[in-house]
Amino acid sequence: MKKTILLFLPLFLAIALLLKTSCTPESCFEETNAYLKASFYLESTGKLQAPDSLTLFGSEMDTLKIYNKASGISRAQVPLNSSAESCSLVFIINDTADTVTFFYNSYPHLISKECGYTFYHNIEQTIFTKNIIDNVKILKSTVTTFNEENILIYY
Amino acid sequence: MKKTYLYIISFLIILTSIKAHGQDVPQDSVLIPLKLRVGIEASGPVIYFTDKNNLNLEGYFSADLNEKMALYFAGGYSNFKYSQYNYDYKTSGIFFRTGVDINLLKPEVAIGKYWAGIGLHYGVALFNSATPSFSARNYWGTTSSSIAAQTSWGHYLEVAPGFRAELFGNLSIGWTVSLRKQLFFKTKNDIRPIFIPGYGKGGKSVSQGINYFLVWNIAYKKIKVAIKKEPTEEPEESGSATTTTND
Repeated sequence: MKKTILLFLPLFLAIALLLKTSCTPESCFEETNAYLKASFYLESTGKLQAPDSLTLFGSEMDTLKIYNKASGISRAQVPLNSSAESCSLVFIINDTADTVTFFYNSYPHLISKECGYTFYHNIEQTIFTKNIIDNVKILKSTVTTFNEENILIYY
Repeated sequence: MKKTYLYIISFLIILTSIKAHGQDVPQDSVLIPLKLRVGIEASGPVIYFTDKNNLNLEGYFSADLNEKMALYFAGGYSNFKYSQYNYDYKTSGIFFRTGVDINLLKPEVAIGKYWAGIGLHYGVALFNSATPSFSARNYWGTTSSSIAAQTSWGHYLEVAPGFRAELFGNLSIGWTVSLRKQLFFKTKNDIRPIFIPGYGKGGKSVSQGINYFLVWNIAYKKIKVAIKKEPTEEPEESGSATTTTND
């Protein structure tokens, strides 16, 4: 009996593996965009505080909004332009607009066979207007698909 | 699925022939031929005829050290192409594996013709991979680019349980299930290879596969191996005890 079990074991393993492989669909279920994650902090208290209203769009792309008068956004997901080494975005926080320009370099990253490639970025510098924004701090310069905070915006 | 049916049918044929041998007259020892083997992996070329993007050629050599253990050395070549809506990928390279094959069958069952056991192998792959085109889309639009060809090394461990049987003459057939664990892969940038020759999917730290072998083998020596007798129960005496007295 033991011998029979021993002989059949690899066969069962083989069938199980074949079934497992054939049942696995090759679909992409992962995040495919590397967003810069920007958190909003009140300058007066130093605490995380979502603006009452947030509008965000690329400079000269005001017809295509990333956020449009959104409330309760304490961490915004900011897309960077992979075809350029810098991009400017307009942040309208509580009806006051500021422009933040990000300087970075981009490099390809393989997400998975199913999802293909995306671009990761290394933030080198930020410059910004100071209508409502007091400061922008870089916390983690590498922008990936992981859920990691990259910059802190004090307003 | 056809491949699975082939495995099952061949396995059942082999199992039947083993049972027949098991019914031989018990002996104290058995002569086991130690063999040299050269095998080719049969499913790779067959798969290539149905999928021209996936070529895998593989062969192996093994030499019996004793009735249980054999030295194993394998080598091969892979050429893999993959394409989907947002990228194209291609890789080609060679791979080597070495280690031991351990036969778990008893010598009187194996008799130098049957092998049901496990292979423990160390694998190395040297390959060249490139991404001729890929695109990524986000808020700003679509960015297209490519990644130039680069040469990479890969190291892994393989555990390969399987089965092999001599059908006629010096020809055997057999199959193994290969379970592989990545040790490390050396690439020039942080881009992981999608496919690694001899290993499989590069994005996974563990991969699996099934190989189907045609093997030519020749005996180079015969050894006498003692058969371990299983303890047998002594039959109980029946009837009542009797005493005799001499008057």
